[in-house]
Amino acid sequence: MASKIQDALSSAAALAKGMGVTLKEMMSPTITEDYPDVPPKFQERYRGVHVLQRDENGLEKCVACFLCSANCPSDCIYIEAAENTDSLRISGGERYARIYNIDYSRCIFCGYCVEACPTDAITHGHGFEIASYDTSTLIWRKEQLLAPASPRETQTAINPPPGVRSPV
Amino acid sequence: MADSVNLTIDGKAVQAAPGTLVIDAAKKVGIEIPAFCYWEGLTLQAACRMCLVEVERMPKLMTACTLTVAEGMVVRTETPLVAEARKSMLEFVLTNHPLDCPVCDKGGECELQDMTFRYGAGEGRFDEMKVHVDEKQWSPVVYFDAPRCILCYRCVRICDEGMGVDALGVIYRGVVSEIAPNKEDHLQCDECGMCIDICPVGALTSGMYRYRTRPWEMEHTGTICAHCSNGCKTTLGTRNGQIIRGNNRDKSGINGEFLCIKGRYAFDFNSHPERLQSPLMRIGGKLEPVSWSRAIGEVARRFTEIRERGGRFGVVGSNRTSNEENYYLQKFARQGLGTNNIDHRRTGDVPALIDALAGRTGVLATVKDVYTAKASLVIGSDLAQQHPLLAYQLRANWRHHQSHTYTVTRGPVREDKYSVHGVRVEPGAELGALESLRDQLKAEPELVILFGDAIKGEAVRRLVEFGDSLGIPVKYICLVDYSNSRGAVDMGLLPHLGPGYQGVENPGMSLPEMLAAEDLDAFWVVGANPLEHNKLAADRAFVVVHDLFLTETAERADVVFPAASAYEKNGTVTNVCGEVQHLRSAVQTMGVKTDLEILGLLSKEMRINLGMWTPESVLREIRQTVRGYNVALPVIAAGGAAQSLPLNGRVTLDSRPELIQSAGDTLFTSGTLGRYSKTLLSVLEYPGVLYGEAAEPEADRR
Repeated sequence: MASKIQDALSSAAALAKGMGVTLKEMMSPTITEDYPDVPPKFQERYRGVHVLQRDENGLEKCVACFLCSANCPSDCIYIEAAENTDSLRISGGERYARIYNIDYSRCIFCGYCVEACPTDAITHGHGFEIASYDTSTLIWRKEQLLAPASPRETQTAINPPPGVRSPV
Repeated sequence: MADSVNLTIDGKAVQAAPGTLVIDAAKKVGIEIPAFCYWEGLTLQAACRMCLVEVERMPKLMTACTLTVAEGMVVRTETPLVAEARKSMLEFVLTNHPLDCPVCDKGGECELQDMTFRYGAGEGRFDEMKVHVDEKQWSPVVYFDAPRCILCYRCVRICDEGMGVDALGVIYRGVVSEIAPNKEDHLQCDECGMCIDICPVGALTSGMYRYRTRPWEMEHTGTICAHCSNGCKTTLGTRNGQIIRGNNRDKSGINGEFLCIKGRYAFDFNSHPERLQSPLMRIGGKLEPVSWSRAIGEVARRFTEIRERGGRFGVVGSNRTSNEENYYLQKFARQGLGTNNIDHRRTGDVPALIDALAGRTGVLATVKDVYTAKASLVIGSDLAQQHPLLAYQLRANWRHHQSHTYTVTRGPVREDKYSVHGVRVEPGAELGALESLRDQLKAEPELVILFGDAIKGEAVRRLVEFGDSLGIPVKYICLVDYSNSRGAVDMGLLPHLGPGYQGVENPGMSLPEMLAAEDLDAFWVVGANPLEHNKLAADRAFVVVHDLFLTETAERADVVFPAASAYEKNGTVTNVCGEVQHLRSAVQTMGVKTDLEILGLLSKEMRINLGMWTPESVLREIRQTVRGYNVALPVIAAGGAAQSLPLNGRVTLDSRPELIQSAGDTLFTSGTLGRYSKTLLSVLEYPGVLYGEAAEPEADRR
């Protein structure tokens, strides 16, 4: 008989303990994010889809030095370089990346490319929605990676002010 | 003076010949003393001060690049003092050097980068503004970025001493000193790019390679230049199936450090937009692209039909295709088509030389002999224009060994600047002019005679008689034009001679006779352009052409096969001195086949058994059957040059030496192929002239 009372009491205690946790969590702020209804939040240092940055004149920072691709452990960056001319100035330096592809079917988001970049051109953004049913779409081109240029910046990119030279 | 000097470098006992520089003696025992300005074979500069070493009983650090070895000398290269000196020197060098390695074409293979990494300070103490000068373009192929220059004078010396062009100099003084070209703001020179190759930093960069890629992104293939007959090794850097640059990366070829504009830059014909990439067949009077099987089938059908009714074939081989292809072509013509009507554009009278020297050994000079011989005689050739490597060797021989050079030419040549005696003659009078040199030549210990197309036929025999009469050892080089002109003769692309100079029964028609024969039924041109200046008399002949481009000959063809270039195939070629070297395929172009494969497919379609058509199996057959071609395979396979020695019997000579005519290409032209190199066409000096040299004698100036 005594054991039955004991069982009931311990069950009640366990129930109270469980409900206690529930009640406590009800009071604390939520951790679960409402993705995709609400955009997710990231730590500042999160390594997402790369962004090719522009300088203060709207010119591309990348000078196609190939160091990112040399440093890449999964060999996923492909670059072709070309020379800036007076009529077509793309980057601040003498040369720019005519083609800049990152193969996201290979990229392991290790951040070595960002560390290697001497001009801080390539950075990790917070983008992560790159899943695809078609692997061929996982090769991202420069146009997809570039930071957007404001209309005013686009204008400067085409007609840079005189004397603009590479910061390097 | 003793034969050798004993010294100690870093505790290692070293024996070196008297006069050896400490930097070279150290290299012998595997100790590297860093240096920018020192370059083996050039005069000493001691400008960079990187090679400072500690020497016992010397009050100060010494420059190892100017210090000669002495008995009992004790040298230390790795002391704290030396390390400190190197670090300080690099700090000085980097004072004005911009930090633009990411955009510099030299980045990744830069000597300054390497040295800074190994010996340099992580940071400099100078925070003054760096002197900036804008980059200049001196020619289509040479860019100069002054701030990057560390003033080692290598370019100035290689241009002046090595090339004899003297197009670079130094202007201003002190921190604003600058290398300057000879025409104020641009260069007028050989455009050889030696200054770019030798530059330890990215001050001089190539216009063709400019910003195309980075050194570690390329694959490198060492092959033989497709242009002149000197057979320089050029290392082709390729990326994505495209040749991006040519240089001599490992300096392992017979040319050592040397390359001219053609070897370094004129690979661009390979990716010319007019390259043929599909077989063409004349359908309704127009050349239309067709499939390979259709083109091969059509040619096989027509050739078989012509052969069966006993029609006349004319076959023209190439000066640029490999030995294997030439051998297979002549075998195809002689055994498959049953004709001796086979010829090529003859550019030098090699058979006459082989005949005149029959039975002797050690009388055919190699490229190296031109550098080591005590005396040389150049007859009828503007060597610096037509045979740049031989000219470079000859010049280096004079610089290093004070060798004597004699020239007998119809106009001024660059060799005159240092020759002992230069004789100007009317064309055709070269042989007679030799008599005036007889006494001088007799006094020489040995001689190498280089002769061009001015000496041919009977004159070759008389030249050899003249050589014999001197009473000294004489070696000969018969100068020919293109990359495998010598191989074409050796492989029997001649109507009267088979492979290895074996005479044939019933000699066939020569090239001019084929062109003039009105009853020719088939005209087959493999990699040549005989219709550039001539007409084919036989209007109804079935014309088959293998070529890279739609040349004048290809335009007349009924079937055109798109052929692979020399940079797209494996095989061997033979240079002007008879040295056999390996061609290695660097790239592939879509839609083309090598001439060997085309010949093989044709023979298969025609059911003629000529053996396997891989370069390896044909080379095996050549080594077994062609006189003098039993060359050492390991030497060739390892990228070396093995001389073929076909001197063991009399040769049936053609009685018409007038068929032999050099095309007279300059440094900037290269037959039909040269027309498709945009670089050659773009330089200011194009098309260049022979015998146009005009300068004061250099021997006096020094």
